Amino acid sequence: MDKTTLAHLCELSKLDYPEDQQDAVIAQMDDIIALMDTVKEYDVTYDDTRDHNEIPYEALREDEAQPSFDTARLQQNTQPRDDCYVVPKMME
Amino acid sequence: MDLQNTSLTGLRQLLDSRSISAPELADAYLDRIRTVDDTLLSYITVTPEEARAQAQKAQARIDAGNAAPLTGIPLAIKDNLCTDGVRTTCSSRMLEDFVPPYDATVVEKLKAQDFVMLGKASMDEFAMGGSNQTSAFAKTRNPYDTSCVPGGSSGGSAAAVSAGLCAAALGSDTGGSIRQPAAFCGVTGLKPTYGRVSRYGLVAFASSLDQIGPIAHSARDCGILLSAIAGQDPRDATSAAQPVPDFNEKVGKSLKGMKIALPKEFYGEAVDDEVKEAVLAAAKTYASMGAELVDCSISTLKYAVAAYYLIASAEAASNLSRFDGIKYGLRGEGKTFDQMIRDSRSRGFGDEVKRRILLGNYALSSGYYDAYYRKALALKQEFIQEYDRIFQTADIILTPTAPTVAYPIGQQDQDPVKMYTADICTVTVNIASLPAISTPCGYNKAGMPIGMSLIGRRFDEATLIQAADAFEQGFTVIPAKPEGGAAK
Amino acid sequence: MRLYPTIGLEIHAELLTKSKVFCTCSAEFGGEPNSRCCPVCSGLPGTLPVLNRKAVEYIVKAGYTMNCDISRFTKWDRKNYFYPDLPKAYQISQMPRPVCLNGHVDIRVNGEDKVIRINRIHLEEDAGKLVHDEAAHVSLADYNRCGIPLIEIVTEPDFHSAEDVTAFVEKIRQLLQYAGVCDGKMEQGSLRCDVNISLAEPGAPLGTRAEIKNLNSVKAIGRAIDYEIYRQTEILEAGGKVHQETRRFSDSTGETTAMRSKEDAHDYRYFPDPDIPPIIFTEQELEEIRASLPEMPEQRLARYLAWGIAKNEAETLLSDKRISDFFDAAAASYPNPKAIASFILVELMRRINLGEADMGTLPFDGAALARLVELGETDKINKSNMKDILRSMLETGKTADQIAEEENLWIREDLGLAESVIDKLLADNPGPVAQYRSGEQKVFGFLMGQANKALKGAATPKAIKELLEKKLKG
Repeated sequence: MDKTTLAHLCELSKLDYPEDQQDAVIAQMDDIIALMDTVKEYDVTYDDTRDHNEIPYEALREDEAQPSFDTARLQQNTQPRDDCYVVPKMME
Repeated sequence: MDLQNTSLTGLRQLLDSRSISAPELADAYLDRIRTVDDTLLSYITVTPEEARAQAQKAQARIDAGNAAPLTGIPLAIKDNLCTDGVRTTCSSRMLEDFVPPYDATVVEKLKAQDFVMLGKASMDEFAMGGSNQTSAFAKTRNPYDTSCVPGGSSGGSAAAVSAGLCAAALGSDTGGSIRQPAAFCGVTGLKPTYGRVSRYGLVAFASSLDQIGPIAHSARDCGILLSAIAGQDPRDATSAAQPVPDFNEKVGKSLKGMKIALPKEFYGEAVDDEVKEAVLAAAKTYASMGAELVDCSISTLKYAVAAYYLIASAEAASNLSRFDGIKYGLRGEGKTFDQMIRDSRSRGFGDEVKRRILLGNYALSSGYYDAYYRKALALKQEFIQEYDRIFQTADIILTPTAPTVAYPIGQQDQDPVKMYTADICTVTVNIASLPAISTPCGYNKAGMPIGMSLIGRRFDEATLIQAADAFEQGFTVIPAKPEGGAAK
Repeated sequence: MRLYPTIGLEIHAELLTKSKVFCTCSAEFGGEPNSRCCPVCSGLPGTLPVLNRKAVEYIVKAGYTMNCDISRFTKWDRKNYFYPDLPKAYQISQMPRPVCLNGHVDIRVNGEDKVIRINRIHLEEDAGKLVHDEAAHVSLADYNRCGIPLIEIVTEPDFHSAEDVTAFVEKIRQLLQYAGVCDGKMEQGSLRCDVNISLAEPGAPLGTRAEIKNLNSVKAIGRAIDYEIYRQTEILEAGGKVHQETRRFSDSTGETTAMRSKEDAHDYRYFPDPDIPPIIFTEQELEEIRASLPEMPEQRLARYLAWGIAKNEAETLLSDKRISDFFDAAAASYPNPKAIASFILVELMRRINLGEADMGTLPFDGAALARLVELGETDKINKSNMKDILRSMLETGKTADQIAEEENLWIREDLGLAESVIDKLLADNPGPVAQYRSGEQKVFGFLMGQANKALKGAATPKAIKELLEKKLKG
């Protein structure tokens, strides 16, 4: 793994590593990916119809609306404004 | 009262016969937590006020003569199970101050029985780890030797049970997180069949593998706790439409004719000799009870760790994306949304969690998806088939729970690859959605507990409890001495 | 060089379920911010989605109206990206196994029949809404819309003009409305359209395409496409290159401009959502859903034509399901569909087009309108009064009978009075009478007009005419 790959993964993951840690992270990820590479030895193709974890259509939830959750309790772990969640201004 | 030598039925009798009141029982545990847990660090949050209030309520119910099996029983709840009004941290800085506005279904079910919650048990951060050393707050120690890890990720739950800091506990198991710490701490832990217990309110690590289960002093206690939390839940579409039996219905029945398979790959070089010897001795004990030992093989086992880490990390990367600092959790700084969430997540998550997120996104990203994630899904189907094949000729499977006993803190928990590889004995059970129970089967020369695992057919937890109980009846537990020499 | 546009569409339609697609919050439009939310749709940790059966039924219905194959095995995937209107940081959608595949819809553009192929229709969840506060440099997120069930209809690139596209969007809106699965209110965002458009010389490979996002009126779709054809033509004819990008259309300027992309990486890392088991349909379940589809526009058209209604009139009635439903209710109450259709299309539509009435908020039902038509057709009132009675009904909400009574508009059939009035009329107009009797029948119209005027409300025009003819001949 190189720094470009790490930067790409960090973008997908929304994570940052300080410059001085990046080499160590890359070394660790290389070791981990080497372990993951063992699956490449096994020749098999995935067929999702063989998962057999499906449920029948009739088992799905009925369409019934319930009263919603108290907004203040829903937002008790943040500081809302006008009952909305606050984020830095989005440029569109 | 010896809190390390209790059983749920024993406590039930004490409470129902008024030999002890629920508040007294709660206080006894709270006292012991105060004396012992400064060293052990098994709890992140102790909730004495809630515990006493719940104990009062439980006592009223006991006095009214309609106690349920867990009424007044003091339990610890793993800190990734949401508890209404009680902070739920997942051992992460990210959720240091997170107070859920709702209960997990399992907590709701326990509350319906008027249990007593002593507190929230420590764990590896977001359940990612096997040592409890990735916790941002309470890096739990092993009650048998406080210089050793308790295992993980439900290390707090297992240590608390082992040290008598709760009567039993709930943990969660994604790749061994109930069974391995139970083995390291010398207690019994049951990972139910996927779908047996609702995951609603369990902060998700890997949704297709996570399952909540009990850690207790015995298989029977696990059965009682499982009966309380099992069942289909309209809030979890993956919870199974399976009837909930009395999980202890087979306890005490003869094992004569039961076929126990020993897959040879689980007894290879990677497993310590002392562990192997103890598990094989247990197999002999089963044979002496009339069970039939069957040789078998799982040839794909060598791919198990990689397949597990690919699936688990892919799901985790997605599950943990919601932690952006906006709705809850550590809120970072930044002028833009992108800067803010990067700061939130970089500061909120610990190193191991970040590694798993990177790995998961690697496995899912375009160009790598087929080689890693999709291949892992194919391997999952292979494992299911292999186990199906074994269960055509065997009733249960016996394996070591972990390749080693609990190891010293700092010895290998800093090396991800070593840590991942050590999960070899437990991960296939989650991949194949099977139930498994770990129970102590011996101690090594240093006195550290060794665990063995019994794996069963889907939804056949009752047979696992029967077999584990049969062994436990003839096994002498050597309790941990978490107080250490100096405290005595 | 002659450049030829090729256009494909992605249409998002919100489904008319009572509850959201993965939780039990109300799926109604609007509401105070975050008042139609719960831990599930707000993405709190530990919560899980549980699929709404009605949403699945509705997408199957939508699929049948567009002649799609319905997958017996269908499943849901996570589309991962970070955006503050998406609380879980993934959208539950469908990738490899959508509910509907391979459909087609027929349209007619400038007298020419065309077939538009549907690639797929899948079921997903809507995202929330952001309000921007310029002064405070923050955006505010409201999750009420999070989890409203949404279907995405993806077409093949079968369009070659703005007219093709607008005809198709109108048709889709009509189909969804008739199937009862979407209200089609583009102004409320319950139907939205993304347009992919590229230009190339005929026979050449497709050019680089630009995507115009979130068009929410048929007019805007047409204008945006015309502008984009113009813009890309200018670029290509000047020897430039069209960039593959996402663009936004401004209603005020009529132009499209490049948008900042949602995520630079655009790697959505789709994978099967482990929280939602795949589902399987039985043949019987699908047959039941198909059978439960209400009468669709084609079937109604056939019925209207059989009733003798002209094709263009029938098509106008069908263009808005509310009008067609209103007409059907009226025709059921008074079986004279031709008269009712013509009254609705001429008089009622005039009021609506003048802004005096709205189809959604009429103060009376189809039966009440049918009664008005019946009174006119059976000469209980004078037909010339019907227009005024209709206005009065719209203003007051009263019935036609009440208004006729209050305004004294009933025809009394007082033949005695009619006879004496006509006698007097003939006596007062000896000239025209003589003209008529000498064979100048044209003057009959003048005499009839005078008689009608004098006899307003006393007799039906038919009776007056008969009486007048009798007297003139006699």
